[in-house]
Amino acid sequence: MSPYVITILLSSLGLGTALTFMSSHWLLAWMGLEINTLAILPLMAQHHHPRAVEATTKYFLAQAAAAATILFASTINAWATGEWNIYCLTHPIATTLITMALALKVGLAPVHFWMPPVMQGLDLPTGLIMATWQKLAPFALIIQMAPTAHPQLLTTLGLLSVFIGGWGGLNQTQLRKILAYSSIAHLGWMIVIAQFKPQLTILTLVIYIIMTSATFLTFKLMTATKINTLAMSWSKAPIITTMAALTLLSLGGLPPLTGFMPKWLILQELATQGLPLTATIMALSALLSLYFYLRLWYAMTLTISPNTNNSLAPWRLQNTQNTTLLTIFMIATLLLLPLTPLAQALI
Amino acid sequence: MTPVYFSFTSAFTLGLMGLAFHRTHLLSALLCLEGMMLSLFIALALWMLQLESTTFSAAPILLLAFSACEAGAGLALLVATARTHGTDRLQALNLLQC
Amino acid sequence: MLYFLDLLLLSLVVGLVGVASNPAPYFAALGLAVAAGVGCGALVGHGGSLVGLMLFLIYLGGMLVVFAYSAALAAEPFPETWGVGSVKAYVLMYLLGVGVAVWWFWGGYGDHWVVVDEFKEFFVVRGDVSGVSLMYSVGGGMLVVCAWVLLLCLFVVLELTRGLSRGALRAV
Repeated sequence: MSPYVITILLSSLGLGTALTFMSSHWLLAWMGLEINTLAILPLMAQHHHPRAVEATTKYFLAQAAAAATILFASTINAWATGEWNIYCLTHPIATTLITMALALKVGLAPVHFWMPPVMQGLDLPTGLIMATWQKLAPFALIIQMAPTAHPQLLTTLGLLSVFIGGWGGLNQTQLRKILAYSSIAHLGWMIVIAQFKPQLTILTLVIYIIMTSATFLTFKLMTATKINTLAMSWSKAPIITTMAALTLLSLGGLPPLTGFMPKWLILQELATQGLPLTATIMALSALLSLYFYLRLWYAMTLTISPNTNNSLAPWRLQNTQNTTLLTIFMIATLLLLPLTPLAQALI
Repeated sequence: MTPVYFSFTSAFTLGLMGLAFHRTHLLSALLCLEGMMLSLFIALALWMLQLESTTFSAAPILLLAFSACEAGAGLALLVATARTHGTDRLQALNLLQC
Repeated sequence: MLYFLDLLLLSLVVGLVGVASNPAPYFAALGLAVAAGVGCGALVGHGGSLVGLMLFLIYLGGMLVVFAYSAALAAEPFPETWGVGSVKAYVLMYLLGVGVAVWWFWGGYGDHWVVVDEFKEFFVVRGDVSGVSLMYSVGGGMLVVCAWVLLLCLFVVLELTRGLSRGALRAV
């Protein structure tokens, strides 16, 4: 693809997200979402092989239907109340419809089915954009409308997402599908707290983006898309392999690492709000996710690769990929937990 | 419900149900999406006309431009799918199943 | 006039039933054309002649022609119409659903707004026309965004359909 076209597409991606961020009118928010969807389509299909085109088609259908539903629900609200402002979403049917449509847009549990196949069809950098940048605009809307949304609906979406995100990843051997399910589970944590403390949603989103970026960039460095390939990674870059194993544990939310911070704060907030049952279910279903992260970890660090004969040499060769970004994200993924008091002071 | 409200609501719901429940061709799915956008256009235009809200009357036109873009991208995907899969039947899109 | 408009609005719903009931794409495009036509009539009846005209020219004249051409990609030897097999069942099911919904929800003539044609002598400028002129003055930002998205759409379509080495369309 020509660099000019890539420039146009990436800047439109930024434009769409910025439009959704700055809008207070549903029509403009919808326009931002549409620009976002349109701009990422050619990036997804840039290799033109059948899987990429198929993933692009599925993504387009899901996103277009979700965006149309968002606009439809805000139209219903406008017919009932005469109000187009995002904060003034009061019609009950409209709020439920918009919640479901936004859930479809980011891939929350009952409507998550497009997400793993689409991720599987993409290459890793585009998958990174899909898992991080494309979530920002819908989440800006979710945070703004969460106070008026139906509380039980949000909690149900969150619980289902955490469960299904954990369950679906158990049987996968493809890394991109595993990351898609991990994304679903993390989105569940974000949505369940959105009605009580939206700042925590933002914090969780930021930390999720950091962690998943580190994971995607590591996999890209190792050109790994299957568990098998991970088993050979120690011979390519031993130090990065060790760090990547810790990154996976951070995604799973183990204490000395950054990933523990959002889970800790969310569980604490849920307990403060008098929802111990929800908090317990969330904490227990995080174990499901932890299981498949541990399986990746095991394959990465404790398994000898099935074909050892000629794979001892690669670590002698200098790696030519740029690792600056990976370093930053990796350090943030592993070491941010001591900053928890700062985060708590800020929110 | 006034007849206007009823008709655009049910038209959109029909389009969404058609898109969600049964599609054989990708083109039919795109046509359903277009039906949804058509009912949205009519809804926005009638809202503007019935409330005499003149400042809002650019909104249906902007919506039409965006839905044209969406339709264009959809048809481009139709061509790309027909190229890579040989057909536009949605059943053929089965390479990425879990 | 009021009842005629109600008839037009109902035809819009029936046209969407024709699209949603999963016939062959030729017939679905026909159903959409019918829906767009009667929608245009409904808009004109409510006093929006400019948006009605726009719907007719752009939607029917531009987009649906492209959709009709694209139907060649979905050509079948025996296209299913609304009277055949499963499509007939879907049509009946949807019509039944719409019928139940009409029976349940229809009404509210008390708060029905007056159709503009019935006192058109009072109007100097129709609302939609003056609003469009507003788009070119204070709504310039939206106009720029719209132009940008149309340009973006051009690039998207070109990038998606670029031939590479795979050559032209193949037969099924």
